[in-house]
Amino acid sequence: MSDPANQSVESPEYPPELARLPPGRHGLPREFVSHNQRERLIAGLAEAVAEHGYAGTTIAHITRNAAVSRRTFYEHFASKDECFIAAYDTVMAELRKRVAEAFDQEEEWPRAVRAGIGAMLEFLATEPHLARLSMVEALVAGPVVVERYDAAIQSLVPYFAAGRDGLDDDVLAGLSPTTEEALVGGMVSLISRRIFADRTEELEALLPDLVEFTLTPYLGGAAAAKAARAA
Amino acid sequence: MSREFIAQHQRARIIGALAEETFEQGYQQVTVADIVRRAGTARNTFYENFRSKEDCFLATQEFAMSAALERVVEAAGSLQSWPQRVRAGLAAFLSYVVEEPALARTCMVEALSAGPAAVEYYEKSQQAFVSLFRLGRDVSPHGADLPETLEEAIIGGVFWIVYQRLAAGEVSAIPELLAELVEFALTPYLGAEAARQVATGDADSPDESPGAEL
Repeated sequence: MSDPANQSVESPEYPPELARLPPGRHGLPREFVSHNQRERLIAGLAEAVAEHGYAGTTIAHITRNAAVSRRTFYEHFASKDECFIAAYDTVMAELRKRVAEAFDQEEEWPRAVRAGIGAMLEFLATEPHLARLSMVEALVAGPVVVERYDAAIQSLVPYFAAGRDGLDDDVLAGLSPTTEEALVGGMVSLISRRIFADRTEELEALLPDLVEFTLTPYLGGAAAAKAARAA
Repeated sequence: MSREFIAQHQRARIIGALAEETFEQGYQQVTVADIVRRAGTARNTFYENFRSKEDCFLATQEFAMSAALERVVEAAGSLQSWPQRVRAGLAAFLSYVVEEPALARTCMVEALSAGPAAVEYYEKSQQAFVSLFRLGRDVSPHGADLPETLEEAIIGGVFWIVYQRLAAGEVSAIPELLAELVEFALTPYLGAEAARQVATGDADSPDESPGAEL
């Protein structure tokens, strides 16, 4: 790593698909390469899982897609499971970020719910491979991931619980403690069923139904339907 | 005893054994050897009935889901008013789960990590309950305006709540969920107030129940 500026990343020694980041003397800081390899392995896993399913995915599929060696794989992850968990966490962090940003941009709670659900549906619809990884394959990737999946779903509860603020006492008294959990479970089951059936293109059309469903306990059916249909 | 009877009986024992073993160690850890030991049958008998552990798992799901559905239909069928039928049906469903925690956990928790075919069956079995809920549109004052996917979402929500309790090993907390789940399920059709009356049993007389008026 003598003079980073003088070394071309696209070294002619490598085939074009590997030229992005050839191993060895490319003059990039080790940390950067390492981070980049990890990201490529995660992307490689997502691609492999989309094609072969979690069970059918091998480390060879992942390293081929990521264009790194098997040894590099094991420098980053102890197993396929560990790589999957990293991929799952990456996808969920992105999804959470998008939902939080969309939700926070709105002043009124019903509009914020609509924006948050909209952001989630948009992300899953535009990234069908990641949608499948996070909502379908996660469930077959063993108890550790299933636990994370459950926690991720439950982490949506506070967005709905915020709807309790400012409600009349008699409405509040009528909301059972499990309302939010049931809403979140219902919403996710609708979404994951479509992802499972490879019908991610239908996801965004679910928005009005999901908004009406989730707002009804707080606002009543009529106001919820109105909020759902408002642009 | 006829040959057929014995065969049926063996099949049921193997299914029960798979559920018990799954309940105790988690589906991934269970082997065919564990199942046949628990069922007290020969390994050959297992393979006469099932192609594999996965095949046996699917049969277990089929068995438990149809038993649960049968209970629900039986409990709900004798009642006139739809809201009361929902309440009776949900009560029957919850009591099945409490009576058969091993089967319930196998079908509602372990199924989700037992491979694509099992997840697919889990998803499909929820759909069987959709048609029962859909009748609520006929008694709802705004039935025609309800979202197309409402029933799917309600059942998904009910399953999720029950799943969370099963996953946490809190079987004894399940019966207490009845009123909350009835209210959750009926609110979109009847409004919160009427749903609460049914949920808390204040509308027990069929003549006074909201569905009967409509």
